[in-house]
Amino acid sequence: MRHGVFPARFAPLLTSVAAIAAAMVLGGLFLAIRGKDPIAAYGMLASRGLGTSYGITETLIRMAPLLIVSAGLLISLRAGVWNIGIDGQLMVGALFAGVAAAAVAGQIANPLMWVIAALAGMGGGLLWALVPGILRVRWGLNEIITTLMMNYVALNVTSWLVKGPVKDPSVVPPQTVLIPREMRLPAIPETGVHVGLVVGLIVVVLVTILFRHTVIGFMLDVVGRNRQAAIHAGMPVNRLTLVALLASGALAGLAGANDILGVKGLFQGNWNPGYGFAAFALVYLARLNSLWIIPFAYFLSFLAIGGEMMARPLGIPTYFVEMLEGLMLICFAVATYFERMRSPFGHQEEVETGPANAGEAPEALVGEPLLEPVAQPTGGRP
Amino acid sequence: MTAGGIPLAAFITAMLAAGLVAAAPLVLAALGEAVGEKSGLLNLGIEGMMLSGAFFGFYAAYQTGGALWGVLAGIAVGLTLGLLFAVLTVSLRVDQVLVGLAITIFGGGLTAFLYRDIFGGQNPSLSVDTPRIAIPALSGIPILGDAMFNQGLLFYLAFLLVSVFAFLLARTRFGLQVRAVGEHPFAADASGVDVTRTRYLAALIAGAMAGLAGAFLSVADLKIFQVGMTVGTGFIALALTMVGGWNPYRILLASVLFGLLRSLGNGLQILGIDVRTEFITMLPYIGIMVALALLAGRTSLPAALGVPYARGRR
Repeated sequence: MRHGVFPARFAPLLTSVAAIAAAMVLGGLFLAIRGKDPIAAYGMLASRGLGTSYGITETLIRMAPLLIVSAGLLISLRAGVWNIGIDGQLMVGALFAGVAAAAVAGQIANPLMWVIAALAGMGGGLLWALVPGILRVRWGLNEIITTLMMNYVALNVTSWLVKGPVKDPSVVPPQTVLIPREMRLPAIPETGVHVGLVVGLIVVVLVTILFRHTVIGFMLDVVGRNRQAAIHAGMPVNRLTLVALLASGALAGLAGANDILGVKGLFQGNWNPGYGFAAFALVYLARLNSLWIIPFAYFLSFLAIGGEMMARPLGIPTYFVEMLEGLMLICFAVATYFERMRSPFGHQEEVETGPANAGEAPEALVGEPLLEPVAQPTGGRP
Repeated sequence: MTAGGIPLAAFITAMLAAGLVAAAPLVLAALGEAVGEKSGLLNLGIEGMMLSGAFFGFYAAYQTGGALWGVLAGIAVGLTLGLLFAVLTVSLRVDQVLVGLAITIFGGGLTAFLYRDIFGGQNPSLSVDTPRIAIPALSGIPILGDAMFNQGLLFYLAFLLVSVFAFLLARTRFGLQVRAVGEHPFAADASGVDVTRTRYLAALIAGAMAGLAGAFLSVADLKIFQVGMTVGTGFIALALTMVGGWNPYRILLASVLFGLLRSLGNGLQILGIDVRTEFITMLPYIGIMVALALLAGRTSLPAALGVPYARGRR
């Protein structure tokens, strides 16, 4: 994109926008094949999702946890760590937050209760990321498999906890004690959106600062781009890998706490909103650029809410949006190929690209054997 | 002796049978994945391919009333998605994890959408006939016989394919090529192996087997489809492939152990033993992580796993 109308730094965005457009067209064709009117569908999606205050409010509420989860996922992906265990970390975080909030609610000031619950949520997510993290740095186990497995362990552990030890004994269904509505996160003045959205935006800004202005952020980027170089430069690669995984786990837990304190007020058995896959699509579409997460989070939240709003009147199952997310990622994969071919460096793929361009896998991952122990920069096993 | 009012022998037989039936789709999917990974392709789309195989298999069997059509539809959709995976990762050289997750998300959305769109709020079950075939003599073995040798055709096929895949990978020209492009694509290319063609074939096999595994779940085993019914079975197969070190027989062993651990949970519940089922159901997942940790360093991964190949570039 040497001669584009857009400044060069926005060029990677065009790839995402093209992918989204292509996915919408394919999705529309699919609707037409199923005998539905795609124009009416997209029309209603837009008019209800963007044109009604209910749609906008719900979109902004949904956006809060998505922002936090995506910011966390971005940290791990930038460092070349595949955290696919977001859903499990979020569930454990939500459960911890629900239990902590219920334990102290009414006994201390509400803001203090929120902080305690948020910390508990982060602790839960962190704990869940710690297992794959240790397995990775101690035994060199690839985190793709272990984080996936931890999702299913989380499903069972939370389900057991909420049926037994932390269940609200006064009700039948497996759930934690309900936090009364007046004790939950307040709305942003003049809106129906709880302040969790502000927390989400702050998290995104903090992650941006982390990568732009701190040494740790810089080192995480180096590890993600070229693990060998990072080792030779004497960076604590294993510790950085662990930090990236733990940070994204903690943020996933915070997102869980956000939904408990802002929306649900309790943790229910088998509650799994499945933000993980949406966050994956989101972070890639945002080209691993933290600030671009914000518009894409709004867009994907709007799709989800709009999809729910049009489902009943048009008879289009809400799963259409999930399919669309998958299509977007597939189209995005194709689009990155054309982007690579168009780049001034042509077919050379190992050229230095800006962080904003890092739509592909961090190289450390693809080049590294999945099961072998990571080379220790100093000492370590032979 | 009785257990929960059921004769103990019959109880053990039932648990064994349930464990083996749970292992069969895992074996099918993991065998395909082993070929894919041996060729250097890590297919996280296996979950979506399996789910798609389950849905389209179910739908075809529902429409035609024939289990065979269901199985063929499952394989066909698996092949289609396997081809998509190959085009994106081999020809376009896009990252495999990204493409795999994209296919899994797409498969989940597509099947859920179609199921709800076609069947509305109904949850029909198939009325196809998948007869049990008792193998003479063997099915008469006490306890084991009824569990292992009185099952459906696809069940036997799953376990027969273990030997077929072992032969394919270890003893055939194609198997050798698969291993060569997975270990050292540059050397393989230099010695005249078509890396692209080999990886395409491996991806198609992986897709077909994942689709077949899905069809096994919906058509042969449960005779229903449910939104997201695989609940991670594909990912488990992927993990079992690694636990089994890409060796079909070890994959079989790992899958059967996993299946038995799973049926153990239900069994204990039936017995009325006061163990939280959640602890039992999560045992297999923890088992996989422990197994991987114990095996770490002892299994050697295909050297080029996850690495795209482009001639003249390294």
